[in-house]
Amino acid sequence: MKKNNYKDYLIAALGLILLICGLVIIKKVSEPQDIMRALPYIFIGIGCGAFGQGMGQIISYRVVKNNPDILKQIEIEKKDERNIAITNYAKAKAYDMMIYVFGALMVCFALMGVEFIEVILLVCAYLFVIFYGVYCRSKYEKEI
Amino acid sequence: MKNRLEEIRKSHGVKQEELAAALEVSRQTIGSLENGRYNPSIILAFKIARYFNMDIEDIFIYEEDENEKK
Repeated sequence: MKKNNYKDYLIAALGLILLICGLVIIKKVSEPQDIMRALPYIFIGIGCGAFGQGMGQIISYRVVKNNPDILKQIEIEKKDERNIAITNYAKAKAYDMMIYVFGALMVCFALMGVEFIEVILLVCAYLFVIFYGVYCRSKYEKEI
Repeated sequence: MKNRLEEIRKSHGVKQEELAAALEVSRQTIGSLENGRYNPSIILAFKIARYFNMDIEDIFIYEEDENEKK
């Protein structure tokens, strides 16, 4: 685990600022229009996520800082080849599942008569993921 | 692939935790190897063989027939 965790403090601080900004916007803007209706909630969401992530890292760093045994064990668990293999299997399974779920979702959206632009965006995102998979495969074919 | 890891480890009087620490893997990995649920990478197989001062073939047994059936 890294010794210098100033980035975590930065992430936590930025998250807190975003969170406060979001709350202030909700409180101050009485009749929000267009993007301002969603923006504060996006700020709160991202802010909470960043603050939680940053604080989590800071707390875990402080807990293990004075305990080299735990630190070493965490490093081992992280680099353990079986753990990595399990994570990769799980990701691969989830990807296979995602292909079917997203495919079904696109069909549902089309049948429900959802706006054309929204269906197209979903199809583009789906195809992007598929083609990224093809790109990675071709890249690893050359590398490995 | 079968292996004699448990037998060899016990004959050397080494605990799973000690072997895991020496090889820098988790104790669960050693357990899975011994149960035959997980086949190690070639690097880990070499590390195990070197730890016990043995050849890989003395620890891991490749079963050709079983693989061909699959």
